[in-house]
Order: sequence, then structure tokens, then C-alpha cells
Amino acid sequence: MTGSLHIKGNEDAALAIFLLVAAVAFCILVPVAWPLDPLRGDISATFKPPMSVVGDTLHPLGTDQLGRDLLARLGLGTLVSFGIVLLAALISVVLGTALGMIAGYYGGWVDALIMRLVDIQLAVPFILLILLLVSVLGPSMTNLVIVLGLTGWAIFARVARGRTLEVRELEYIDASRAMGLSDTTIIFRHVLPNIIGPQTVLLTLDLPRLIILEASVGFLGLGVQPPMPTLGNLIGEGRSVILIANWLVLYPGLMIGALVIGCNLLGDWLVRRAESKVS
Amino acid sequence: MKGLRFLLSRAIQGLIVMFGVSLLVFFALFLTGDPAILMMAPDSTAAEIAAFREAMGFNDPIIVQYGRFLVEALQGDLGTSLRYSRPAMDLLADRLGATALLALSALLWSSLLGFLLGAVAAVRKNSPIDFAIRVISLLGQAVPVFWLALMLIILFSLNLRWLPSSGYGSFEQLIMPSLALGAYYLSAITRLVRSSLIETLGENYVRTARAKGLTEWRIVVRHALRNAMIPVVTLQGMYLASLMGGALVTEIIFAWPGIGRLAVEAIQNRDFPVVQAVVLFAALVFVVANFLVDVAYTWLNPRIRL
Repeated sequence: MTGSLHIKGNEDAALAIFLLVAAVAFCILVPVAWPLDPLRGDISATFKPPMSVVGDTLHPLGTDQLGRDLLARLGLGTLVSFGIVLLAALISVVLGTALGMIAGYYGGWVDALIMRLVDIQLAVPFILLILLLVSVLGPSMTNLVIVLGLTGWAIFARVARGRTLEVRELEYIDASRAMGLSDTTIIFRHVLPNIIGPQTVLLTLDLPRLIILEASVGFLGLGVQPPMPTLGNLIGEGRSVILIANWLVLYPGLMIGALVIGCNLLGDWLVRRAESKVS
Repeated sequence: MKGLRFLLSRAIQGLIVMFGVSLLVFFALFLTGDPAILMMAPDSTAAEIAAFREAMGFNDPIIVQYGRFLVEALQGDLGTSLRYSRPAMDLLADRLGATALLALSALLWSSLLGFLLGAVAAVRKNSPIDFAIRVISLLGQAVPVFWLALMLIILFSLNLRWLPSSGYGSFEQLIMPSLALGAYYLSAITRLVRSSLIETLGENYVRTARAKGLTEWRIVVRHALRNAMIPVVTLQGMYLASLMGGALVTEIIFAWPGIGRLAVEAIQNRDFPVVQAVVLFAALVFVVANFLVDVAYTWLNPRIRL
């Protein structure tokens, strides 16, 4: 976070962007362009190690217990996981920012109520809460997006509130009020633009948490249901055959690592850039 | 006095949080409308479900049900497991030791090593060793605990045959779960100690100590570390929730008989009273731990000392 490395900042950003662009390109190009079916396999080609050739079909990352091509499944799985995470993050950011601005702008009991809700949200381990809700509502992609999104708002609310408290004291807000602008207009036109920047940085730093959380839920079998692959599902399914086919666990994990490192480096770099601008 | 008032207000906040969590946990079961259908096996008859609903008191007004839930919870009664027909509290108590052992051992090694690595990185700032430590901490936060755990099993159990791949009871069986769970934490502590210490080392009193001719390591250990600890301690409490979440997956992989495994099994078996008990308990641990962090913070920070 703060005080991170010296001038090498730009190399970090380059590496981050490379990792993220590569991962995104991979999860779009593979489902579109790779000819093998991620959901249906060839029973005569089970547990083939990476770079195997069966007939005239190459399996660059090998196949699984049903003879399905891991490259095809990893491409689709990354797309599904990343899609879920981005949609959930969007819900969290919008909800958290709105509540945080309301808390900071109005203060008083509204503020106290929202901030206690933040405390309550943060007191329950995310994974437990998500498992509880998913098990009540039933596992599906929509439920997962909603639950991940609704449980992730607290940190965005806390930061948005802090920033709103600062902005509220600025003179042009007083001026807007004197001009008779409504609270809603002031919040959207004058407070929100000051908050979007910090919230974007926070979003970048929060994505790794969501990526790993979504993968954990999938790993435990409570996320998107098979045969649809996600990063967590792939590792969960690979776990039972780890003795004979460790590549099924290895590559999905490396993909998670690439996404997380990319987001972390990018987020750190954005924080440093914002700090150096201030000072 | 200032410190005492601060701690009192934090304690009250903790109580409010626990009250909110109890509401959350209670009403979660009513999200789909009928908790009886939720808890019963899908092939139960309408008569069985009706009988179950009556036995569980689901026909009472919801506010009465919540009141009963709250009063019983305050007396230490968190309901009865549908699967084991035993008090959920007893099941929790049986598993507590295993989870505590796992979490505390992970916390211990990762904190000690994290402080060491963070301090070395801060003192040797911008050197190759600082860079190496940074790479380690970046990698430690990059992979999910369950993936790291599986990689450890492939390496130490399948290939090298040094350690057992699962189970509970011996020191060898503790090593891999503890390593897997502590890795993320190690990264977090290392980064925090490094940035916090670099900031402290720039302060005036440290320059004075340097001017007195003390060695750099003596300054770090005797003067800077204590102040650098304040942000580290403050954030410990925040990380606790993720540590408990990580323990849950770790326990599944290593067949560790702890609370996390109890929770996942309860969710898979639709044993909701046990799930409720685990969530409430986890929140209680979090609230108590954060209160202790506030106590430590008050003690470390002379400006608000009692």
C-alpha cells in the first residue's frame, strides 16, 4: 500500500497491464476461437497430460476425467468467474458509494446507522455469510452475483463517507447550497465527481478479494453448478484426481494468480500516483 | 480517562454489531419464505413438513420467534443440530480446539516471520533483498489458500513423501495446514511492517537516536518498532475475518476437524441451526478480537493512554 517501492513504479504498471490484458484476451479469445467444446469431452482421451496429441487433436493443457480439453474449459471458466466478479463489484461500488455519500453528506443518525451497518457487515467473515445466503437461496450464477455484490459494499461505503466529509466542507458546496440546489443535485453533481477516482482505485484493490472469494465458493461446490467451469470449480473438480492429473489444479491456480497480481500491482501503482500528485 | 471512555464506546459498538449479526443470521432463513421447507429433505411429505414447522415453532409470529432466538442465544443455547440431534453449541465446543490450534499456529509463524522480513526490507530499503521480500509477499497474496494447500500436498505428500496429506493429531499433520493458512497473512504483515517502519524511521526521535551513534538495528528494535506496531496491531483485527474464512477452506482440504469443516458440512446437509451458530460465533470472535485490538492500541499509543 503506502510507501511501496521506489521509482520502479512504471515497470509495475506495465507488468500489471500486461497480465490483465493477457488474461482478458485469453478468456475472450479461447471461447470464441478455440474449436474444442469446453462442456463435452472425448471419453477415449481422459487424463491426457499437457501437450498431448489424440488423433489429430492437440490438447495444450491436457484433458480431464471426462476427456474435456482443459484449455477450452480454462478459457470459459476464466470468462465466467471474471464476469461474475466484475458484475458483483459493480453492485458493491454503486451501493457502497451511494450509502457512503448519504452517510457523509447528511451526518447525524443516518450516518450512525449506516456506519453501524458497515461494522456489522465487516464482522461476519464474507465466505460464511455468502455460503449461508447461497445455501438458502440455492446456487446459481445470478444468486452468486447478487450475494457477492451485496456483501462487498461496506468498504466502499466507509471510504466514500470519509471523502464526502472532506468535500462537504469545501466552499463551492456551501455556494451550491446558497444557490438553492437540492441535496440530490449537490451529491451527484459536486460530491460524486470527487469520489469516483478514489473509489476506482479501491475497486482495483478489492477485485483480488472477490476473485479469491468467488473461487473459494466454487471450490466448495456452492457456486455455479457443473458442468459449467469457473476457476474455483476447475480446482475443486481437479482436487479429487490430483494424484493422476495435477495439471487440472495447476493451471486454474496460475490464472487466479495472474489476475490477482495484475489487480494488486495496478491498484498499488494507482495509489502511489495519487499520493505523489497530492504531495 | 480519555482511553477508558474510548474503550467503553467501542464495547457498546461491539454489542450493537452482535445484535445486528443476530438479526442477519435469524432473518436469512426467512429469505425464501418458509424455513421449514428449507430445512427438510426435498422428498418430505406435506404432513411431515407441517409437523416439523409446528415442532420448530415456525407458526408463531416472527417477532416472537426472533425474541425466543435472542433470549436463548444469550443463555448460550444456539438451537439443536437437525442432523446430530445435539445442541449446536456442543458441536461448536468439540471443534473449537482444532480451529484455535490451526489459526493460532498460522498467526504465530506468519507474524514472527512477517515482522522479521518487514524489518529487514525497511532497513535495507531498495536493495535486492527488499525486492526479493516484495516478490515473496506479492506471491503470497496472489493465490487462494486452497490452491496453495493443494500445491503443498503435491510437493510434500505426493512427490517428496515427507508429510501426511491430511488428518489431525500430530505435529507433522499441523505443518501444511498452518503453512497454507499463514501464507496470505505473512504477506500482509510483511508489507505493513515495512511501510510502517519506513515511515517511523524518518521521524525526528529516530534521527536523534542515529545522531547519538546507535546502530541501525538497535534503533529499529529499541525505538522504531514499538511505534511502527500501531498500524500493524490496528489492522490485525481486520484481517481476522479473512483468517477465519481461510481456515474454513483449509480445514476442508486437510480433513481438519475444526469449526470451518463443521460449517461447510452443515451447509451441505441443510443443518441451519449449526450454520447460524457458527456465523454468530465467528462474529463474536471478530468483535472480541477487535475490542482487544482497541485495548492494545490504547496501551501502545501514549496520546490516548488511560
